[in-house]
Order: sequence, then C-alpha cells, then structure tokens
Amino acid sequence: MTDKFVKMEGICKSFGRVQALRGVDCTVYQNEVLGLLGDNGAGKSTLIKILVGIYPPDKGGIYLNGEKIRFSSNREARASGIETVYQDLALIGLMSISRNFFLGREPTRGIGPLKLLDRRGMAHVCKECLADIGIEIRSPDECVSCLSGGERQSIAIGRAVHFGAKLLILDEPTAALSVKESAKVLEYVREAKRRGLSVIFISHNIHHVYSVADRFTILDRGSNVGDFTREEVTPDELIDTISTGKKA
Amino acid sequence: MKDSISGFCHRLLGYSEFGALIGFVVVFLVFYALSPSQFLTIESLAAILTKSAVLGIIAIGMCFLMISGEFDLSVGSTCAVSAMCFALLMSKMGIHPAIALLIALLISGGIGFANSVITLKGGIPSFIATLGMMWFLRGVLLAITGGRTVEYWGRSTLLLVLNGRIGHFRTSSIWLIVLVIIFAIILGRTRYGNWVYATGGSRETTKVMGVNADRVKRINFVLTGLLAGFAGCVYFGRFKFVDPTLGLGWELEAIAAAVIGGTLLTGGRGSVIGACIGALLVGMISHGLILAGAPAYWYQAFIGLILIVAAIINMQIQKRGFI
Repeated sequence: MTDKFVKMEGICKSFGRVQALRGVDCTVYQNEVLGLLGDNGAGKSTLIKILVGIYPPDKGGIYLNGEKIRFSSNREARASGIETVYQDLALIGLMSISRNFFLGREPTRGIGPLKLLDRRGMAHVCKECLADIGIEIRSPDECVSCLSGGERQSIAIGRAVHFGAKLLILDEPTAALSVKESAKVLEYVREAKRRGLSVIFISHNIHHVYSVADRFTILDRGSNVGDFTREEVTPDELIDTISTGKKA
Repeated sequence: MKDSISGFCHRLLGYSEFGALIGFVVVFLVFYALSPSQFLTIESLAAILTKSAVLGIIAIGMCFLMISGEFDLSVGSTCAVSAMCFALLMSKMGIHPAIALLIALLISGGIGFANSVITLKGGIPSFIATLGMMWFLRGVLLAITGGRTVEYWGRSTLLLVLNGRIGHFRTSSIWLIVLVIIFAIILGRTRYGNWVYATGGSRETTKVMGVNADRVKRINFVLTGLLAGFAGCVYFGRFKFVDPTLGLGWELEAIAAAVIGGTLLTGGRGSVIGACIGALLVGMISHGLILAGAPAYWYQAFIGLILIVAAIINMQIQKRGFI
C-alpha cells in the first residue's frame, strides 16, 4: 500500500453549462481497494469515464505509476491493465459463458488467414480460470441469460483477473443483487485484492463498500468532500458525509 | 440415465436450426404423402434445390445481418440491379462476362455500403433505410429500362459455371452448398463470427469489450449486398434474360428463411445452416404444391403459416434459455 498506482489530479469536466467535476483528486495505491462514494450526480461515473478514456478531461492530469497518460479509448485503458466491469454491460445474455469470456480476445488456431476459434481451449481455460478464483459454473457452454445477476458480475470480475487487469473498476457491482449474491461478489473483490490487484469500488451501499474497502474517497456535486482510511471512519460517519456533503 | 436424456434434449433444442429441421421433416412427410410416387425422386430433389439456391444465397447474407441486429429490405431490388447490370454490360456493351460479373458485384456491394452509411451515420433504423433503398433502386431500374426485359444470346462458360446444368441438377446448388459451408464456418468458428453474435446481442457491451460493433454491421451490410448481387447473377445464368421486376418480394422470403432457420428479428441469435434449411423449406413448399396439383396461390398461404409456427417455436426455445 505504498506506491501510487493511479493518480488523478485536479480533474475538471463540464457538459455544456453543467460542471460535473470541479477539480477532483483521486488516488489509488497498489493493491488497495478504494471505495468511491457519493450521491447520485456527485460525479463518480464521470470521473471513471475520464480515467478509462471515454471522455477527455477539460483540465487536470492522470498519472499511471507516476507517468502522465491520457487514454483515448476504453481499449487503450484495458491494454494498460485498467478494466471496468459495468453493472448492465458486463456480459451478453444470448451468448455462452466462454464466448463472453473471450469476447474481443478470442484465441485462435490455424495457419495464415485461416484462423478458427479454439473452442475447446476457450471452454477449458474459461472453466479453469473461474474455478481458480472460486467461481463455480455448471458449463462454459451455458447461456448467460440463464445466470443470476451475481453470477454475471462474478464472471466479469473473473474475466478481468484472468486477462491481467491491474486495476479493476466495479460500477455498482452489488446493486440489485440478493444478500447472498452480494456476499459472494464481495468475496471475489477480496480475492482480486489477494491476487495483488487494485480495485475502485463504486457503490451506494456503504455497508458493502465498508466491508471490502481500505480507503474511501467521497464526492459531492463534483468536488472532493472526504478522504478516509477505513481505520479513521465508521460507516455512519461515511453516510453522514455523503448526505450532508460537508467536509469532515 | 434420465439426466443424460434430458441433457441430450437440452443440447438438441440448443441448436438454432432445430425448429427449421422439424418443420422441414414435417413438410417433407406431408408432400411425400400427397404425391408419393413423384416427390421422392432425383428430379424432384434437383428441382427443389434449383428453386431454393438463389433464395438461399440471399438468406445467408440476410442471416449475418439480422444476427448483428439489422435488416436489409433492399436485397430483392439489389438482385434485380445486379442481374440487369450484368445483362446490359454483356449484351449491349459487349463486355466480357467475367468483368461484367465483377462490376455487377461491385455495384451490389456498393449498395450494401450505402445502406450501412444511411443506417449508421444517418442514425435511422435499417428497416426504414433499406425500405427507401428498395423503392429507390426499383424505381430507377424501371425508369431506365422502361420496364423492358434484357436478354443475352451469347454463349459463355461463366453462365454455365454460375447456373448450368449437371444432369438433373444445376450448378447453383453447388454454389449454395459451398457458400453455406464457408459462411457457417465464419459465423460459428471465427473471431468475426463471435463479434457478429455479440453486436446483435448488445451493441454497447460489444463496444465496451473493445470490438468495433459498427464496423461489424458495416461489413455485414456489404456482405448482404454482395450475396444478393451474386444471387441475381446466378438467377440470370439460368434464364439468360432479366426483367426489371425480378426479385420482387424476395427480401421478405429471405427474412422468412432466416427466421424459420432460428434467426431472431432482434439479433444475437441465428444460424447460416438454419437459414439454408429455411430456404430449402420454401423451395420444397413451392415444388410440392405443384406436384400435388394445388393452385399456385396456396404457396403464399403455406409459407405464411410455416413462418408463424417457426417463429413461435423459436421464441419458446429462447424463452427457456437454450442457446
């Protein structure tokens, strides 16, 4: 927890007349789970979208391992090990687990331009990797639409871990999940940390975030209003800061 | 034991082609019962294949495009434009058939590309974009030709290759089989195929995963145009004349073939082999009714019925979560 992995400094972003971010700082250390908190419209999603290159910032700098960077697409961010798992956009319902797992990064076999999907390898690797992280699936050929929300989130997290993500961004991963399923997803977040990943965990559910995060950054209407380590703060104090929007 | 049986059934239902295959067998048995001595002959099989080949080639492209979540209603008109260009270039301008074919295909691919630009850049549904294109092309074609047919009297090996006789069969059947195999492999076994399914399943998720979903759609539009154009030339190879109303209503037959074969109207699911079975089913109905001595009007009624039944079966299969 010593080295800064990603540092965002003085990020500003406006959409027309709406100032979504007014000079936000946000830092994630190596192998740390950061809880990014704030009410609706606080600017959490905008900040993340700027980090992964979906929006360019109006002002401010982004540093990866101390080096200034600017991603121009999600793809570039992914190539640098920053992987986002979106709540609704994690997996495609009509496709099998293994086809989803490798979407965009499918392994092939063959010569020259005649390259065919390595389907057996895909199924095998997919099942092994997920089992390795502790995610049990019935069959990699199963259709994703048969899976529960928690299972989908789990698979998306497992996929990010497998493809060598160094920073995992989870956007409301436990929203709309049952208690049991949330507990499972939180367990995979801990597993990701044990494997040396950093995680940015965006959520409304303070209790979920509190149980896994090492540190919290709180935004309110586009500004930083709090930055605590877990030892410094109780869940109630966090809720208080979010709802009042006052610096603690 | 029970588990393995239910597992087997599960797998069987999981194939997109399952509904089409059942329909094929049922319709086959019905026609066999209606005219047992004529239906199950080589001549009859050849006739079905010949009737289905042109539609099947169009349905392959339609199937790709529909899986990626778009439509093309202009394929019938594209067929006619392509065949007309092919015929005019050869007969009126004396251009070598191979070059004429190449130009016809270029134009067809260009129509597909235009459809993709209108749909993706214009931000309108492909249903509207290609409906407009369908009328536009047909109108231009009728205006330029004045509604007259164009014939080609010359001899050309290319026309024999496109749609010549081999015994009772025609080479168009070979084209259909070869193209189905090639495109079934592309769809089921390549990275591109995976992207086609993903694009139709969820354009946003596909983009998030770093695949250019719009490029996939563009390629499929061009592919659909190309295959429709090729089908038009294959059709011309058989009759050696083309009238500007060629292909009227074929776009709907191609969509019907794809849907009967398990392709979802909303995208994300489908199969080339299913679409081919769908096209064969359409050909079989047309031929079987002739053999049974039924008036030709029954053809449309039959296709309509089968389309509805197939769509319901496919929807039920999908609802239960089979892939």
